[in-house]
Amino acid sequence: MNKTVNINLAGIFFHIDEDAYLKLQRYLESIKRSFTDSQGRSEIISDIEARIAELFSERVIHDKQVIGIKEVDEVIAIMGQPEDYLVDDDIFEDDPKSTSFKKSAPSKKLFRDTDNSYISGVSSGLGHYLGIDAVWMRLLWIILTIASGGTFIIIYILFWILVPAAITTAEKIMMTGEPVNISNIEKKIKDGFDNVADNVSEAAKNVSKSVSGAAKKGSSSIKSSSKNFFDTLADIIMFFFKVIAKFIGVLFIIIGASALVGLIIALFSLGVADIVHIPGIDFIDIANSGNTPIWLISLFVFFTVGIPFFFLFYLGLKILINNLKSIGNIAKFTLLGLWLFSIIALVVIGIREASEHAFNERTVEKQYLQIKTMDTLKIKMAENDLYRNSYRTNGFKIANNQNGDKTIYRQDITILVKYTTDTIATIGIEKSADGRNYEKAITRAKNINYNYTFTNNQLVLDSFLSTGPDNKMSDQEVVITLYLPLNSVAYFDKNTKDFLNHYSNNDNIISSKYTNHYVKITEDGVVCDDCTGEEFEIQVDTPNIKIDEHGVEINSDGNIIKIDSSGVKAESEAVKVNINSDGVSVKSE
Amino acid sequence: MKIENTKAQMRKGVLEYCILSVLKDEDAYVAEILDTLKDAKLLVVEGTIYPLLTRLKNAGLLNYRWEESLSGPPRKYYGLTETGKLFLKELNTTWSELQNAVNLVTSQKTTKK
Repeated sequence: MNKTVNINLAGIFFHIDEDAYLKLQRYLESIKRSFTDSQGRSEIISDIEARIAELFSERVIHDKQVIGIKEVDEVIAIMGQPEDYLVDDDIFEDDPKSTSFKKSAPSKKLFRDTDNSYISGVSSGLGHYLGIDAVWMRLLWIILTIASGGTFIIIYILFWILVPAAITTAEKIMMTGEPVNISNIEKKIKDGFDNVADNVSEAAKNVSKSVSGAAKKGSSSIKSSSKNFFDTLADIIMFFFKVIAKFIGVLFIIIGASALVGLIIALFSLGVADIVHIPGIDFIDIANSGNTPIWLISLFVFFTVGIPFFFLFYLGLKILINNLKSIGNIAKFTLLGLWLFSIIALVVIGIREASEHAFNERTVEKQYLQIKTMDTLKIKMAENDLYRNSYRTNGFKIANNQNGDKTIYRQDITILVKYTTDTIATIGIEKSADGRNYEKAITRAKNINYNYTFTNNQLVLDSFLSTGPDNKMSDQEVVITLYLPLNSVAYFDKNTKDFLNHYSNNDNIISSKYTNHYVKITEDGVVCDDCTGEEFEIQVDTPNIKIDEHGVEINSDGNIIKIDSSGVKAESEAVKVNINSDGVSVKSE
Repeated sequence: MKIENTKAQMRKGVLEYCILSVLKDEDAYVAEILDTLKDAKLLVVEGTIYPLLTRLKNAGLLNYRWEESLSGPPRKYYGLTETGKLFLKELNTTWSELQNAVNLVTSQKTTKK
């Protein structure tokens, strides 16, 4: 005895046994799942239903006849298994790449799992691919997104665009890595049916039938593809190559992704800062003497560096995922064009920038200082708030001057000293700057502000030069030349040390070691009146070793060596050696 | 390389051409097309034809009309469109060229032996 149900197939009414009905339903469902919407699924299905209805009508002799399993099996035999519907795509697909998933290779493919998705199924798809629970993938995405300041979202979107969604059952099975065959497709479909619970045993019977059908096919294929030893060896080698390739792919993705993230962060922080004018960033604007907008340069740099990394990322994905969507030739060539354009633009900007430094011009002012022979001139650098530490650097500094205007400061000041046979001292101030042409360089040189004061035989020099931001950083320099009369005495303060040359030469008779001393100007250079030889500069003071002006003392675990004005002392636990004005004494215990 | 696959591929490569040829002179509904193809042993199971017909129809090579049937559901009668006729002509030429080429190559092989 069997329950029957009434069905309407393509507008025709049929009585059908319940088990036969379920079988037919599963059959139609599995066929439905082997097509995508783009292939005209609903139309194909209604055509198939119409054909099945026709086949049933041929088998029904009178109205009361019920369609049983036998009739359904016959019809399925005529119509063919879902695989028969599938294979035809292999040959007729326009794009040969995307057909690869239909070959029943048991390898896993990356798809987006839209059935278990929060946003787009990227995480659950990656989870299937890597064999990790999707929750961990989501967590990883969230952590990476936060850690990268949100830019990892771009990488996510790249995955979203490039990884296809699993739509057909075959794709869904590929995604989880099971081989695509009828039993798996049916299993997958059965997962979606809750109402077959009553007929589990019946279903199992049907499954086993179709599985045995598939198994027959499978076993014949195994036999025909049985391999000899060398084939197996080749397979093993190929496997290792594949593993290495995947590893390289992962490496490419990591390098590409992190470079892109870094570049995007850099682009945003620089480009945005330039447009909204965050204080402090205008340093770059002033350094950029070619006057090209910073955001433009950073955009070009971004494209020049970013596009190769994007392709690296894409290549990595391509190695990992055989069914990757192509970004299309138009996109590829657009990116290539953009890349070349950016490179050319950067070269042009670079040439402009370099030409800004093509000319170096100087202006010289001379003034007399009321210093006569035998007078003593004191030279020191002015105290200032701008450069608090005493070290001189050649870097530029941007700050507001006392009027609140933005000003470029630099410490590139050099002091040279020469002797003169005149009876009066002169100071020469030479300012120089770079420019694209002679006029520009000379204007920039003239725009350098540099001040000094001279009162009561004391010369106070500024320790920095300043100029307006319009002049950009164009290697502004100030060289101060002091012409001192013979036999006059000069005293260079300690703070001038960094501005003096280390060695004296034809153009410069003083070196930085004479600071803090009174020196007499002679034709042969300077003579130091109060120098006491070379100053002692090494000072070491650690618990074990002490080196200072008194001598050397080394103390290691009770063994002591001491050299000082009183003599030489060497002591160990057992032996003591002493060399001093009394002679040599050796004591041992 | 499985012989079954190669055979199936060969058969299916010409299936589109054959369907169009069946419809060359007169319109037919699916069962009629199927009968012709099955008689010629081009098809083993019927399922294969439905996606193909839909594809050809979507490509604008075929159109169809509905006709009532006494014994079952209404039938789709397929016929060639103008594009379909041109397409078929092209395929005819290609096929005869291919046939000649294959004949030439295969007969050469046999004479060499």
